Amino acid sequence: MNSYDVVVIGAGVIGTSCAYHLVKKGYKVALVDRGDIASGTSSHCDAAAMITDKMPGADAALGHASIQRFIQLAKELDYDFNFEQRGSLYVCETDMEMEVGSGYVKALQAEGYPVKMVDPYEMLQIEPFLAKDLKGGFWSDECSQLNPFKLCFAFVEQFKNKGLDVYTYTTVTGIKLNEKNAVEAVQTDKGDLVTKRVINCGGVWAKHIGELSGLDIPVLPRKGVILLSETTSPICGQKVQEFGYMVTKFANVECDRDPELLKYNVAFTLEPTEGDNIMLGSSRNFVGYGLNTEIEVINAIAKRGIRFFPVLKNMSCIRAYAGVRPFMEDHLPIMSEVDEMPGYYIAAGHEGDGISMAPITGELMSQLIAGEKTTLEMEPFRFSRLKQAQAPVI
Amino acid sequence: MAQYIDDDVLVCRCEEITAGEIRAAIRMGARDVTGVKRRTRAGMGLCQGRTCEALVQQILRQELGIDTEQVGGSTPRTPQRPVTFGTLGGEVK
Repeated sequence: MNSYDVVVIGAGVIGTSCAYHLVKKGYKVALVDRGDIASGTSSHCDAAAMITDKMPGADAALGHASIQRFIQLAKELDYDFNFEQRGSLYVCETDMEMEVGSGYVKALQAEGYPVKMVDPYEMLQIEPFLAKDLKGGFWSDECSQLNPFKLCFAFVEQFKNKGLDVYTYTTVTGIKLNEKNAVEAVQTDKGDLVTKRVINCGGVWAKHIGELSGLDIPVLPRKGVILLSETTSPICGQKVQEFGYMVTKFANVECDRDPELLKYNVAFTLEPTEGDNIMLGSSRNFVGYGLNTEIEVINAIAKRGIRFFPVLKNMSCIRAYAGVRPFMEDHLPIMSEVDEMPGYYIAAGHEGDGISMAPITGELMSQLIAGEKTTLEMEPFRFSRLKQAQAPVI
Repeated sequence: MAQYIDDDVLVCRCEEITAGEIRAAIRMGARDVTGVKRRTRAGMGLCQGRTCEALVQQILRQELGIDTEQVGGSTPRTPQRPVTFGTLGGEVK
């Protein structure tokens, strides 16, 4: 029978990062997925690691620490995942967005992050194809881009068969617990993997894996649609987004929005890929696990793209795709042990920031398991916070 | 039995991927068309696999000794052929 120090469930970006960071610390690790590596959310997403789409506080701290870890990983991993720190530009369409946006920039600056306001003239110097009637925006040098599938492969390839055993196309059927409710083995359709520690990195499916052990992990699938262009000469240098993106992501960022955009929660976001395509997004909707790309949503995304980058009008779209992001009500991931089930850990619920936060998540989970001091304070990410939130008020 | 495709033959013309690169992806763990696609970009170009998909399937079948059904195909995606963002955004020509 195969036995491991840690079994990681889910071979998306979070699971592969956790597996890599654990093997790096000397643990013997099994990585299990019912499909292939990066076959779920991590291959149906965009490709950026940003600081300017995070909320000041714990969210921004994670984003920033993760980018620092990315810079090291680009040197540390043998498999090239096309990491480039090109910066990112946010643009504001209305005076109200400028006002709310500048408050947000001040809050990030107060926490020490490199973000600055730019005027319409500077914006056009950065992006000559940008619409000329915008009010202003902000820029951060820190934001980065990478290839998300290659990142997953890079995490796996580094230690594959050298401390990391990969069980793809293997479905987890249960977690075996002992009389003290502690983890004893991970049961799969191909046999048991004996272990005292398991990490549920199931992303949007973390809920289903949790249910196998009677745990209520409140991760919801939130679908996002992205359009991909034909290969083109560069029309943008790096990620460009409208400030309205923050309104669609966070319920507490309030700005007036066009009702048509609100209907599908569409906001403009554009980025160049390493294959010289342009990725144009995106939408955010709660419509279950299905990956349909509704024509109304495609229509709204294309229209919004042309509003900010008129040059897109005559460029061709070659595919539309959708992914489901693991949404959490409080917009913070779970990176935690489960108090009542010794040896059971969860790293899930990063919504659209899984790629962005994968490096720091793997590092933190490996520190948590090793009983070391963690790079960041883990209290905001504890699983038990969710039970407190659900507890009835007496 | 279909003919063996030499390693230096370009299979995906849009993304310029050879049979040898596809075989390397299979050795890395790809078991189906989408697995090869994610590891090599074969099928991600302008034609979206319309030209190379049958060849990628053939290589997978030969290398892994599995049948057509297990090899699968790429996920059908909108639009059926390249369409301008202007048209998708509702512009009338």
